Amino acid sequence: MELEQVYKIGIGGPVGSGKTALIEALVPLLVGRGHRPGVITNDIYTQEDAQHVRRTLAGTLDADRVVGVETGACPHTAVRDDPTMNLAAAAELLDRFPDIDVLLFESGGDNLTLTFSPALADVFVFVLDTAEGEKMPRKRGPGTTDSDLLVINKIDIAPYVRTDLAVMERDAHAVRGNGRVILTDCLTGTGVSDVADFVLDRRETLCSSTG
Amino acid sequence: MTRRAPKPSGVPKTSGGLGALLAQFQLTDSAFPSGLYTLSHGLEGYVQLRIAGADDVHDLVSGVIRAAGTADAAALALAHRAVASDDWDAVVEADRRLHAIKLGPEQRTASVRTGRQLLGLAEPAFGSAPAVRLGRLVAGGATPGNHAVVVGAVHAGLGVPVRDAVAGDLYALAASCATAAVRLGRSDFRRAQGLLRALRPEIVRAAETALAARDPRDLRSSTPLADVVAAAHERAEARLFIT
Repeated sequence: MELEQVYKIGIGGPVGSGKTALIEALVPLLVGRGHRPGVITNDIYTQEDAQHVRRTLAGTLDADRVVGVETGACPHTAVRDDPTMNLAAAAELLDRFPDIDVLLFESGGDNLTLTFSPALADVFVFVLDTAEGEKMPRKRGPGTTDSDLLVINKIDIAPYVRTDLAVMERDAHAVRGNGRVILTDCLTGTGVSDVADFVLDRRETLCSSTG
Repeated sequence: MTRRAPKPSGVPKTSGGLGALLAQFQLTDSAFPSGLYTLSHGLEGYVQLRIAGADDVHDLVSGVIRAAGTADAAALALAHRAVASDDWDAVVEADRRLHAIKLGPEQRTASVRTGRQLLGLAEPAFGSAPAVRLGRLVAGGATPGNHAVVVGAVHAGLGVPVRDAVAGDLYALAASCATAAVRLGRSDFRRAQGLLRALRPEIVRAAETALAARDPRDLRSSTPLADVVAAAHERAEARLFIT
């Protein structure tokens, strides 16, 4: 399949917010619903994220369908300003596995200004987590306010990090207008099926609008 | 103000050589650390008001380039010629006039901040005698030191022809706008390069307008919508860019 025809999901967010965990929870659901995903991770120095995804998804996703791209720069350079290396990695992955119909791009951990190039992602998912503090939505930034979907992860540990989840969710809605917010605990799977529903619904919408 | 006859000014007698071209590359390179990455040149204000989609970027940036033709780029040309003829009163006059026609505080602050950043770098980066002299005037409060005027002075000191200096700085402005559009999610890397191509005729027109300026009174600005949007941007609770 050509890269332009493959549905591309961009997942960004701060370091440690749970981007990798979301992918590891989301991919089995996508496979279960009949899709054939590929994963491209971005790390600054290493392939740590790619290796983690391969280990966790062993038995669900062929390890060769997970590719790591070392950015050697601020992650937003690789997914927003000049995404050519990610696009090249995606094209090579599709050459090897032409059946892939969904590509998940994980940005390296970044700051609140991260966005995805429209050339790289059809849908942009931004991941925050409760351990960063309940003030995070109020700090805004394009990821928080303008992403297609805002995920607030690690809801299970909110009481232990003195985060009032209700405040965090309320503020997220306040700064996003009608933008969707989903609360998750990716390690147990809470809320992840809602994320799968959202991204697949968006895929249907895009497919119908482009014929 | 008294006008003096031309005399040695630290400006090379010959200009336009390969050395000048290479120095201009350095000065107009987007990696040159003068802080331009903090400016969206008004684009963010339109995005925040949700009146700028991806299809509007070309027209908005064209407007920015066109406006520069009678303001910043024209001041650059005046400053360049004034430095080349060692007429520092004229440099100051152009700088003050440019500052006066920038209505919003954001625009004035950004222009002076990036101008002073360039002044600080011009000596180590270029050994620029005009920049040193202009820096003393700015430090003494005689003139604000707008970015365009500093660029004009530095280019003159490097022996870059005024036409090339004006065109180079207008291109740098266009490239900065294209980068801002990408960061604001209103463009991608392909469209940004297509935008720069499409803007060339506008840059040429703006350069011709700027080069036609002969007097500080030729500097003018009439951008009511951009000024209103900038005023809203100034009060925004959150933003990526200074302008």
